[in-house]
Amino acid sequence: MEIATYKNDVWGREVLLGVSWDLLWLVCVVALVIIAGHAVYMATQQRAERPSQEGKHVQRHEPIDRIMHWVMAISILALLFTGVLPIIGIEFAWLTLHWIAGLVLTAAVLFHIIRSVLQKDLMSVWISPSDLKEALDDSHKPGKYSVAQKGMHAAVTVVTLLVIVSGLFMFAMIDTPWWDRTNSLSESTLGWMFLIHGLTTLALIALIAFHLYFTLRPEKLFYLRSMIKGWISEDELSANHDPERWAPDDSA
Amino acid sequence: MSDYKHIGKDFVPPDIMGKVTGKAKYAEDFRVDGMVYARMYTSPMAHGRVTNIDTSAAEAMEGVVGILTAEDVPATDAPSAAILTNTPAYIGDPILAVAAEDEKTAENALASIRIDIEPLPFVTDPLDSLVAGGPDAREEGNVYVRSQEGSGFRTVKWTKEQVDEFRAGREPGGEYANEWSYGDLEKGFADARVIIEEPFVTIGYAHMSMEPRTAMAYWQNGTCYMHASCQSQSFFMPGLAAMLGVETKDVVLISENTGGGFGSKIGAYPIVGLAGYFSKKIGRPVQLRVTREQEYYMGSARVGFQGWIKIGFAADGRATAADVFIVEDIGPNATGGDASSAGGAISLVYDPEAMRFRGLPILTNTTPRGAQRGPGQNQIAAVMAPLMDKAAKQLGIDRLQIRRVNAVQNDTTVYAGQEPVTSAYMDEALQQGAEMFDWETRKNQAKRNGSKVRGLGIGQGYHSAGTNGFDGLVRITPDGKIHLHSGIGNLGTYSFASTSRVAAEVLKCEWDDCVIHHGSTEANLPWNSYQAGSVSTFTQTRTNYVAAMDAVDKMKRIAAETLGGTPDDYDIDGQRVFRIGTPAQGMSYGAVAARAIQLGGAYSGQTYPEDIHEITQRSVQNLAGSGLIGVAKDKLERNGVIPGLACAFVEIELDLETGKYDILDYVGIADCGTVLHPQGLAQQMKGGAVWGMGMAGLERHVYDPQNGLPANVGFHECRIPTYMDVPSVIQVGAVDLPDPQNPVGARGIGEPAMGCSVAALTSAISDALDGHIFGRTPISADMIVNHVAGLDQSFKPLQTNNS
Amino acid sequence: MASFDVMPDMQLYQPVELDDALNLADRYAADGWILGGGQDTYGWLKDRAKHPQAMIDLNGIEALRGIRDSADGIEIGAATTLREIIRDKRINRDYRLLSDAAATVASPQIRNVGTLGGNLVQDARCWYYRRGLSCYRAGGNTCYADTPDGINREHCIFGASRCVAVTPSDTATAMVALEATMVVQSVAGERTVSAEDFFVGPDTHITQMTSLEPGEILTAVRIPAKWAGKKFYFEKIADRNVWDFALVSIAVAMSMDGDTIGDSRFVCGGVACTPHRLRHVENAARGKSLSDESADAVASIAADGARPLNANQYKLPMMENLVRRAMRA
Repeated sequence: MEIATYKNDVWGREVLLGVSWDLLWLVCVVALVIIAGHAVYMATQQRAERPSQEGKHVQRHEPIDRIMHWVMAISILALLFTGVLPIIGIEFAWLTLHWIAGLVLTAAVLFHIIRSVLQKDLMSVWISPSDLKEALDDSHKPGKYSVAQKGMHAAVTVVTLLVIVSGLFMFAMIDTPWWDRTNSLSESTLGWMFLIHGLTTLALIALIAFHLYFTLRPEKLFYLRSMIKGWISEDELSANHDPERWAPDDSA
Repeated sequence: MSDYKHIGKDFVPPDIMGKVTGKAKYAEDFRVDGMVYARMYTSPMAHGRVTNIDTSAAEAMEGVVGILTAEDVPATDAPSAAILTNTPAYIGDPILAVAAEDEKTAENALASIRIDIEPLPFVTDPLDSLVAGGPDAREEGNVYVRSQEGSGFRTVKWTKEQVDEFRAGREPGGEYANEWSYGDLEKGFADARVIIEEPFVTIGYAHMSMEPRTAMAYWQNGTCYMHASCQSQSFFMPGLAAMLGVETKDVVLISENTGGGFGSKIGAYPIVGLAGYFSKKIGRPVQLRVTREQEYYMGSARVGFQGWIKIGFAADGRATAADVFIVEDIGPNATGGDASSAGGAISLVYDPEAMRFRGLPILTNTTPRGAQRGPGQNQIAAVMAPLMDKAAKQLGIDRLQIRRVNAVQNDTTVYAGQEPVTSAYMDEALQQGAEMFDWETRKNQAKRNGSKVRGLGIGQGYHSAGTNGFDGLVRITPDGKIHLHSGIGNLGTYSFASTSRVAAEVLKCEWDDCVIHHGSTEANLPWNSYQAGSVSTFTQTRTNYVAAMDAVDKMKRIAAETLGGTPDDYDIDGQRVFRIGTPAQGMSYGAVAARAIQLGGAYSGQTYPEDIHEITQRSVQNLAGSGLIGVAKDKLERNGVIPGLACAFVEIELDLETGKYDILDYVGIADCGTVLHPQGLAQQMKGGAVWGMGMAGLERHVYDPQNGLPANVGFHECRIPTYMDVPSVIQVGAVDLPDPQNPVGARGIGEPAMGCSVAALTSAISDALDGHIFGRTPISADMIVNHVAGLDQSFKPLQTNNS
Repeated sequence: MASFDVMPDMQLYQPVELDDALNLADRYAADGWILGGGQDTYGWLKDRAKHPQAMIDLNGIEALRGIRDSADGIEIGAATTLREIIRDKRINRDYRLLSDAAATVASPQIRNVGTLGGNLVQDARCWYYRRGLSCYRAGGNTCYADTPDGINREHCIFGASRCVAVTPSDTATAMVALEATMVVQSVAGERTVSAEDFFVGPDTHITQMTSLEPGEILTAVRIPAKWAGKKFYFEKIADRNVWDFALVSIAVAMSMDGDTIGDSRFVCGGVACTPHRLRHVENAARGKSLSDESADAVASIAADGARPLNANQYKLPMMENLVRRAMRA
């Protein structure tokens, strides 16, 4: 199976066209296999006792962060649906919706980055060598985010930034209310942009599948609640986090 | 009028039957044993350098016979066209060719060939190259100057401000390459009551011959046999031989029928060399039939102009001074030279008392240029007509009058050197046309009817129409047949036949007893002119005349030798030479021919004049002993410019809402001296009119300046006029006054027939739009609609090749 | 680059039964080429810009030819030639708009063999696309025409979405104006689709001109009696008077109540990728009479919403003028 597709440019030279969308099915299948494998594995494991959600609440996500998360989530899903459905044969006028969602995502990501930098909260989600202990030692609990969450965040960050940057270059090549399409990219550069956009889209599909799966896993469901309502219980906190490493504000 | 037997009479040219029945064979219709088919791989890039060629897959294909690359053919120095090149300078520049057992295999082979080309800077609009920092079409420079002092590349750049000034319609202030002038320009403008100053653009376009060029070559014992689509016959041969690296005696050129050339097939063009070298390389006959699309790439095109003109007129309409500056688009191969010819046309048609021409030929990576029907003269005719109208309006004189007052006459001197003309009757043509068209009535009729506006136009066309110094060859055989050998070529106008009739006229013989030999070197043809530049009529009538006169002289001498007396005692008629006073005493042409063979020597071609060309000499050698040979070089008087002139009157109805116009009436009048062949003349005048209509409103090159791609490479995309775009009746007439420097009084007309048409239309469109001057050809519907709506045009001022 | 000019090898099928053609269309799907009059076929194939494996020639299928009565109006077989349509008495009497439109297609020679179906489903006329470039419409990732210096004089002013090509069909505008229904068949059966929905734009179908999917064949067009004998106006402006595509064209059907316009359909060709219906003009025309005054009033809004490219702003006044001409008495 090819990773990229090629076309002839205006002078007949072979240039990149973009990602080979045959990979879409491969990615879906591989993601589902991994998820199924994990689910089966987990089913064979002894089920740990769930911490109680009763008791005192501690704030895990501020309202603004929750809003931004859902804005990003919705815009990414909108981008995926508008971008991918036409490729699999469901035809509709997708382009305008796609770039509007793309702008929303870009704005949300920018906001998130700026806020994170200003809040000096970057480190909470940054993977450090000490995080590796978590993976090796069950007794070693994480701070605010588990290494898996940090890994997921890092992967989504890289992929989303790439999809946004490549998307913005492509945005310059269509008509919008603010400008007529430019001819700013050479065909080979444009091909690279399409390839990056396509590959990162595929990566996003896999990452989102994993994210959804882990979110919906029973033992992790409280994280979903925290992303909706903002809090986790003290029980959940102590069962999953090291208070030395994360001392959340308990005013929630 | 004279009592000619053949001249001025219609006849059926010998090639008509084949054309209407489809039996006429053109170059691509020939097949010889072992022939293979070649196809070309051409440049997809406007300018580049080949870095790698991989033909391995093609070579492995069954049926592929050979591959020819630039290494297999002689190298040429830029900017000359190469047979095959590794530094293509336009899209469609041939890089290699494949020969295979059939065309499909050749095409499959082409599809498998991989060629890497490194792109180089390219340009499709001369002004983009002229502006400082702009790309050059050739690495050697952006300007190529051809002159008697020496030709060469130059790099000429103007500042952005200078280019902007030019675009704004002001006198160009930048460097130029060519200049000539006569008279006192300053005084001329000082004397002027009215001065008109306008910028202009004429966009080039393809020749669009019905027959895309084909060459089929094979070698036998060192002689190259070449079937090709040629305008000229004998004139084609030295160039062909030089291209193949052999002597002229070692080429046999077969070109009996040609489907149009219009200037694009005058002399040897690269693909004849390709077929020749390919055949030599693989040892088999090779036919190369270029596709219609390739004909658009390499089939030659009209030079485009971007210019500025200032012209002054006295109160009576007399042109006092003209100052013209032309940037010409000479394509990648520096072919053209139209601009100076345009200047010459101004000096002749409008006869300003003083004039200056300045020109700058700029290379572009567009299709190679070449002479196209009225090269230079017809572009400037289109430009000038509405300017003359504007001047007449400002002076308050009639538009016909301003043309008449400046009309070239017998005593007018023309060009930089203020040379004489052989004769000129433009004023008579204008008067005749005005009468046929009823100018006086029409000019006073109502113009507006709803959204439609009537416009009247007058156009004048000119091209020099003759040359001299070529050879004539006729032969009379013992069977009484008169053989007229014509080496002019047959591009489809029938002029090879009509000019041959001058020999029949001189020999006072029946046309049915004449046989025209043409179309192949093996038909033993004389050295004749190129069939181009409207020269055939003037030039070829002279060669036929001198050859026939030589035959008459020889017949009289043979009669005197055989029957007694002196040659002066004899005359000819009824295909006999007879004693004046006692007509019964004489010999038939057949008998004279038989006697010529007996006598030998010059009579039957054993000897011949030393001043005839080697091609004629060989033909005479081959014919020697087969009859009475009349052969001579044309040394008749020729002094001055031989003008072919025409004028046209047109009425259009232009719809302001659609930008379209109907041509209601068209009258074209030729001043071509004595009319040689009325049907042929009518055909030239009508065909030229249609061409002019295409140039005025439809035809142009379109290139995407961003990637150099041509947008129109097919008949449909090029929008040549159809039956539905031209009037169903085109009226034509002729002044029919003889030129003193032609033995039958004839001059050519092919090119002016078009110039007058395009000029009449630009004049009529301007008239319909209250004198608005677009300063551009073609004037398309979108331009008219934009103008009427008060919108900007979609092109920059003086922008070319992309609208 | 090669300039191909020879037909490549491919299978040729000449079925005489529609079912056989449908089976072939199904079997070859996107690799099959449906051949009508062939006037938009051989260029593509000889240039090797399209590479079908098989050609399915419909010309032998009698069921696809002819003009017949239908329950509500007439039905025209897709393989009916344009010449037959131009010369049909009933069409000339009741649906003159269609015969007027058909009479402006290409040239007499092309109309003699070109079919209605072929005219309706013909491919876009963008020269970049026809040159065989890998543009959006050809499955690529860019448009060459909608660029700052692109050669787009003949391209669209409405409905661009990456691709800016226009519909080249003269009969399509008439079909939309007449509220025709397209009859589409495949092995799965028959479906009908309104002309307005049959032609699709680049926003949804960037590589297609119509909603025909691989394996489907347009077999007939049904024109309802609704517009029979109404007031019609058709005009096409092209550079040449024959063998040329519309710069702008207009097809108008108007239901007149005395001097007053009731329902109407105004459809422009050459301005968008699909026949472009001018609903706002139809609304504005309602209740007006045919006169210079109402013509000017309605024409002034005709091109509202147009977004010209760098070389086609002339299409706005041209379009307005055509509406104006349709509205004159």
